Amino acid sequence: MNPKEYKYTPEHEWICPEPGDKGRIGITDYAQSQLGDIVFLDLPAPGTQVEQSQKIGEIESVKAVSELFTPASGKVLEVNQLAIDEPQVVNEDPYRAGWLVRLELSKPSELDALMNSDEYDELEARLREESPE
Amino acid sequence: MKLSKKTPLNKVHHELKARMIDFAGWELPVWYTSILAEHRAVRSGAGMFDVSDMGRVWVSGRKAGSFLDEILTKPAQRLELGSSQLCLLCLEDGGILDDLWVYRLGADRYLLVWNANNVEQKLDWLLRWAGSDPDVIIEDRTRDTVMLAVQGPDVSQLENLKGVSHLPRFDHTQTRIGDIDVFAARTGYTGEDGFEIISDAANALPLWESFIRQGVKPCGLGARDSLRLEAGMLLYGQDLDISTNPFEAGLGWLVELDNGDFIGKSALLKIKRQGVRYKLIGFQMKGREIARSGYKIFKSAQEGGRVTSGGYAPTLGVNIGLGYVLTELATIGTDIEIMIRNKPVAAQVVNKQFYKRGAQNEPQRI
Repeated sequence: MNPKEYKYTPEHEWICPEPGDKGRIGITDYAQSQLGDIVFLDLPAPGTQVEQSQKIGEIESVKAVSELFTPASGKVLEVNQLAIDEPQVVNEDPYRAGWLVRLELSKPSELDALMNSDEYDELEARLREESPE
Repeated sequence: MKLSKKTPLNKVHHELKARMIDFAGWELPVWYTSILAEHRAVRSGAGMFDVSDMGRVWVSGRKAGSFLDEILTKPAQRLELGSSQLCLLCLEDGGILDDLWVYRLGADRYLLVWNANNVEQKLDWLLRWAGSDPDVIIEDRTRDTVMLAVQGPDVSQLENLKGVSHLPRFDHTQTRIGDIDVFAARTGYTGEDGFEIISDAANALPLWESFIRQGVKPCGLGARDSLRLEAGMLLYGQDLDISTNPFEAGLGWLVELDNGDFIGKSALLKIKRQGVRYKLIGFQMKGREIARSGYKIFKSAQEGGRVTSGGYAPTLGVNIGLGYVLTELATIGTDIEIMIRNKPVAAQVVNKQFYKRGAQNEPQRI
């Protein structure tokens, strides 16, 4: 299930708010299931300033490459070295061990407009309905 | 909108919750559980692919052999009964219409197995050259048969295939699996030992299930692609097409120019004499970026070619690919750059047989 305390984008990224206007971002379980085995991550360097919805990286699965967009604006504090070294962790545990980037949020109010978990559950159900596996 | 064709096993794939995609007009599974897991099953055990999208065309009649010799780059009549060979179907200008397997079933009876793309064009081509000759009968039975590729080092120990485990590589026979009549050939497209099995579409499900019961893992198009790429095998529509000729594709060994005449021969003789400008190469990435089909290849900031296939090599743990480069860049050991998202990324030309059955199979030292 998609964690209740996270916020979601229509592009299937999540952000988990942390105290002090920080947040971890990653991709949803639905996204990893669509991508299949992930083998390479291209993530932004710490210190990079990013704007909401901007493309900040690439995710390569065995089958295809897809873009990573940031759900919020801010400064990259760190990237998940474990996910870089062993990208399959994003498939196995997309919401916890498989996080991608940690941000210092410059506009924390941006999160208010993102989907909550109920809304994302609904989107996911609709997409799975449209293309049944 | 054109609806995808469905193989006789379409329902099974859906029941297994495979991720389905359109491939050359067919709805096929790209993976069931994971491309990597399916790839490894074939390298270390036994995997099974629904390859019913491959075209299956029977050519028979008194002049079947001489007809095939006119249109194929390697004489079919020379094949012994029960054996097979890979060869090419070329246009008059030497462009490749397809690569295909020819199996000799009888004195005047052959089976062609070709790729799923351009099927109408290929059938038209055959019918055009066969004309109205009553001694050449062409039957496309793709839609009323099923084809399975059962591949991996353990397949000859399977109960289902014990009866054909004596078959030498590339040989084939008519046999039974349980009470099902099948055609079984020791061929494949994975770089492993394996069999390709053809039967009536009505037998598809019992055949599939009997292999499942023996522990064979269903594998999708994703693994089919990564396995063939590791083994350095070309994919028509990607590494080969009508605009490529056999010599630039490194397939000169499939073209016999010193025997009889065939369509495209004079053009191919000329191409061979003149030499080619581009050559198909294998490359290995130095870092972790993946080169995908269509990416440009550079050498010292000069464009020198393009990638036609690229991906992760699960057995080797590195990223590999195939592409065409200017002949002066085609030597093994040449450093090249692949333009990935506007960034030149280091790679090296290596032997394109990245994976070889029975060998050490480590990444090439670059």
